[in-house]
Amino acid sequence: MWLTSKIKQVLMVMKPGVVTLNYPEQPAPAPKNFRGAPVWDHHKCIGCGGCSDHCPSRCILTRDVCQELRVMLYDGSRCTYCGRCADICPEDAITMSNSFQMACENKEDITTRLELFMMTCQRCGRCYEMENTNSIDRIDLKGFRYDNLEQRAMIRKTTENFSLEVLAETEHYERPSK
Amino acid sequence: MRKELEAKLKAELQDDVVCVEKSDERTIMVDVKREAVRKTSKMVTDINGRYLCSIGYDNIDRDGTIGLVHTYSVDDADRFICVRTSAPESDPTIESITPDLPSAGWSEREYMDLLGLKFPNHPKPKKLIVADDWPAGIYPMRKNVPHDLVPPGAEDVAYQLDEAPPGTKIVPIGPFHPSLHEPEHFAVYVDGETIKGCDYRGFMTHRGIEKLCQTQVSYNEVPFIAERICGICGSVHATAFSQAVESAGGIQIPRRAEFIRTLMLEVERIHSNLLWLGVAGHLIGFDTVFMQAWRVREQIMWLCERLTGNRKTYGMILIGGVRKDITPEIADDIRKVIDKVEEELMVIHRAIEKDTSIHKRTKGVGTITKEEAIAWGLVGPVARARGVDIDARRDHPYAAYDEVKFEVPVLTDCDVWSTLVIRVIETFEAIKIIRQCLDKMPGGEYFVELKDKIPPLRHAITAIEAPRGESIHYVITGEENRPERWRVRAPTYPNLQAVPLMLLNEQFGDFPIIMGSIDPCFSCTDRVAVIDLKSGKSSSMTKAELERLSRKTPERA
Repeated sequence: MWLTSKIKQVLMVMKPGVVTLNYPEQPAPAPKNFRGAPVWDHHKCIGCGGCSDHCPSRCILTRDVCQELRVMLYDGSRCTYCGRCADICPEDAITMSNSFQMACENKEDITTRLELFMMTCQRCGRCYEMENTNSIDRIDLKGFRYDNLEQRAMIRKTTENFSLEVLAETEHYERPSK
Repeated sequence: MRKELEAKLKAELQDDVVCVEKSDERTIMVDVKREAVRKTSKMVTDINGRYLCSIGYDNIDRDGTIGLVHTYSVDDADRFICVRTSAPESDPTIESITPDLPSAGWSEREYMDLLGLKFPNHPKPKKLIVADDWPAGIYPMRKNVPHDLVPPGAEDVAYQLDEAPPGTKIVPIGPFHPSLHEPEHFAVYVDGETIKGCDYRGFMTHRGIEKLCQTQVSYNEVPFIAERICGICGSVHATAFSQAVESAGGIQIPRRAEFIRTLMLEVERIHSNLLWLGVAGHLIGFDTVFMQAWRVREQIMWLCERLTGNRKTYGMILIGGVRKDITPEIADDIRKVIDKVEEELMVIHRAIEKDTSIHKRTKGVGTITKEEAIAWGLVGPVARARGVDIDARRDHPYAAYDEVKFEVPVLTDCDVWSTLVIRVIETFEAIKIIRQCLDKMPGGEYFVELKDKIPPLRHAITAIEAPRGESIHYVITGEENRPERWRVRAPTYPNLQAVPLMLLNEQFGDFPIIMGSIDPCFSCTDRVAVIDLKSGKSSSMTKAELERLSRKTPERA
């Protein structure tokens, strides 16, 4: 019994042979609908902030610098590549690319920063609200947003009109510590 | 069932029963006053209720009470019974049910830590979840505690391990140990080579996912976070959460989405069972099985990459359906891969089924009887290897499991070997289910959009058969587009509680495989215990001492 099992095991190992790939010398491309690093198309982005609202890892931040200028920042170091942002985007400005070799020395290399000139829809995120018909996916932080880009922290506080006081408050945001 | 239960409870407990109602077609909610909890629990277990877990929730803002729900499953009648009670914040005392149901021990200890509930007759009221130096009086699951609170640490606090039985020595295993794949700490009491007992301290890499999801994100982000509860059965948790919310909100999802969910769960079962088979082989030093099982498994991982866009954490499931459709090309791809996997797994199965070296290491190891397995509420393959015939897929059919045919293997050898056999058989069953899913899958939509908000304060429970056992998710819907309370009970939770019993009177060398046989999945850590060999006493090192010790070596060199 013991011997026949061992013979079977030898055959089991011999048949497939070596299966490991010679990576990275021999590149292993990702399949077609792979969810790799998200890529922003700044021509299409309307700055509604929907992606930042629905990012499970909170790595897309929205900060209004003034009435007309909104900064969207994607921090790739925290991204889980779930592709939720690409799903939610009403303008299809986000696509999940095929790139997966994302290790780098500098965090900034995998950070995307968009500076958008805003027209009317910054007031309430209405463009997004109009597009999205699923009631549990509606935007929940409407109006002006003040996430802290330095600390990479999302701040759940918004205002109807641009407020310098709130901006000043959130600029000094610090992460909780002991 | 509801009427009989109500009549019985009313006759026995009179005014202590507040109400007995049906919240959906398989859940019965029983509201009782806190004095009657233990009696109600006994009555529910008398009608074949199998204890699942308890859920504590903070209701202080609404009526000044802390709620506690004990949940039971009546497997032969496809019912869940939830016994709901509450205690005022000023006197949060509820009678413990642990003396009757040992598997309730952890759930109750959890809410002592997280909500400040008190169970005066609990047999082992020790800390379970929070760190040893967590300040007293801060209960993290209460609403007034922010999710990102970081209290200052303390140096001189250590968990007191159970007293070692006389004549035994303590062998500390963990927090980091070659045979453990995640950090946790066991103090194993040995007499020579024979294990005489064991104490466990874990939960220290507790990530607070439940709190995070109750305070920060909205409904449809939770499935993605739920998926990351476990690196192996991610889809299970996402599906369980979505189903619980759908059940609470009365949402009907398209039939096609249910079939795709079933398909994903079964694909996950194949990969998980192969992974476990490899790990089990590795733990008994049989690395051929490890290499070959993982080689076969790799095809499933690549399949998932093509199917969902990622090897693991598929991100397929949302409330209301699934994110990606299964096109005819993908269906062909799946068929091809599972045919290959079936063939290759059969080769592995034939090569190891009669191997005496595996038999010697696994047969008669980790035995506990069927009665003990029922008493401790074991779930999954571990329970089925001990003759307990439970499977949530058959007993509480969800998704498309009511339409597919499959066998539930049950063995009565009560040891690690039968667990192994069951998991191999289940992999073949999973392949069968996938084929049926692909054949029977109806057309149409695979996602439904919600027109209305999900109504708040509805309770729902759902059970999903993960590869390693039954996962229970309990959701209370909230007002701010996110769950008010979300409780996850992973299958390791009840199985791990019975490990000391499985280890009893076994050889110390079998510890890794017995531990591994439940396919543990935990996040935990402890301090380093220093054992004084003469007295058998254990003490703990402080962080400063450890740092000093670790710095000494380089200085000497």
